[in-house]
Amino acid sequence: MRHPPDRRQAPAQPPGSWDLLSRLSESAVDDDYARVAARRESETNGRHRPGWGVVVAVVLGLMISLAALQAQSREPTEARERSAVIEQIEERRTSITRSTDTLEGLKDEIASLQGDVSSAGASGESLLDAVQRSRILTGWGPVEGPGVRIVVDDADDAPTTEGGTVMDRDLQVLTNGLWQAGAEALSINGQRLGPTSAIRVAGQAITVNYRPLTPPYTATAIGDPDTLQARFSETAAGQSWFQLESNYGIRFDIESVDDLTLPGVPTGRLRLRSAVPARDAR
Amino acid sequence: MIAAAGLVAGLLLGLVFQPTVPVALQPYLPIAVVAALDATFGALRAYLDGIFDDKVFVISFVSNVVIAALIVYLGDQLGVGNQLSTGVVVVLGIRIFSNVAAIRRHLLHA
Repeated sequence: MRHPPDRRQAPAQPPGSWDLLSRLSESAVDDDYARVAARRESETNGRHRPGWGVVVAVVLGLMISLAALQAQSREPTEARERSAVIEQIEERRTSITRSTDTLEGLKDEIASLQGDVSSAGASGESLLDAVQRSRILTGWGPVEGPGVRIVVDDADDAPTTEGGTVMDRDLQVLTNGLWQAGAEALSINGQRLGPTSAIRVAGQAITVNYRPLTPPYTATAIGDPDTLQARFSETAAGQSWFQLESNYGIRFDIESVDDLTLPGVPTGRLRLRSAVPARDAR
Repeated sequence: MIAAAGLVAGLLLGLVFQPTVPVALQPYLPIAVVAALDATFGALRAYLDGIFDDKVFVISFVSNVVIAALIVYLGDQLGVGNQLSTGVVVVLGIRIFSNVAAIRRHLLHA
C-alpha cells in the first residue's frame, strides 16, 4: 500500500480560495475518509466490514444497468417521434407543393375565364346588335327614322279610263323600287312590310298582310333621306311610275320626311313553326 | 475483489430481471448513477491512498445519490431541471476526473 503521508491529513482548504475547479479537485475525495482514517489510526482497531461494500457495489451495478436500459428504451421512442415529425414535415411540404400547383392552375383558370368574360361581353354586344338589326330588318316591332313618304292614288277619272287605277302590281313595283333605292323599312297605309308580307289583290281591294287597303295609298320608307328619293327616281320602278303618272293621270307625290315612325309587322305574320337555324349557322 | 464481483453481479441482476423503475424516479436515475460513480471512484482512490473506510463509503454513496437526485428534483420543480442536471454532472465529472487521475498516478506512477 503506497500512500503519501501528507494524504493522511484532511486536505487544507486555502482560505479565501474561490477557484472552483481547484477546489473541486482538492475535495474530490470525501474528507471523511481522511478524518476516519486519522481517528482509526489513533484507535488502532482496524474494523473490516466487507459486507457493506459488496452491497453498495451490487446496488451500483444495478443502478448502472437500469439507467442503461432506461436510456435504451427511451431511444426508440425518441427516434420514432423524430421520424414521425419528419414524416409530418414531408407531408406538409408535399401538401404545400400540391396547393401551390392548385394555386397556379386556378390562376390560369382565372385568367382564361377573365378572357372568356371579356370576349363573351364583346360577343354579347355583337349578339345584341345582331338581334336589334334582325328586329328592324324583319319588321319585329316599330321603328323610326328619316325617310320618304309617297302618296299614290287612282286617277280622278279612274273608273272610266283604262289604266287609271292603281293595281297591286303597281304597288309591288313601287316597293321593289324603294327596296332597290336603299329603303330599310317600309309600310303601306300603316301595314309594315315584313319578310312574309305579300301585296296582292283580294276581290276589288289590294291587301297587305291580308288587310285590305283603301286608296290613297301612302307608302312610307325609312332610308337615307338625302339619297332615297333620287335613287328611286333612277330605278326602273321610278321610271314606270313616272310613266303611269304622265300617261294615266295616276297621282304620285313623293316627299322627304325627317322623322317617320313605322309600326311593326302584325305578330301573326311573324309566327315560326317549321324553320330552325341551319346547323352551320348556329 | 469481492466488490468487483458485487458490481458484476448487480449489472447482471439488472440486465436479467430488467425491473421497471417507477416512472416518478426515472428522471433521477441517470444523475444518481453519475453521483454513485463519483462516490465509487472516490472510494477507490481512498483505498489506494490507504484510508478507505467502508462506512464512509456507504454513507458517501447514499448521500451522493440522494443529494444528486434531490437537486435535480428541486430543479425540475423550479423549472431549471436541465440546467441543474448539467451543473451536477459537471461538478461530479470534474471530481471523477481528478479521482481517476490520482488513481492512475497510484497504479502507473505516472
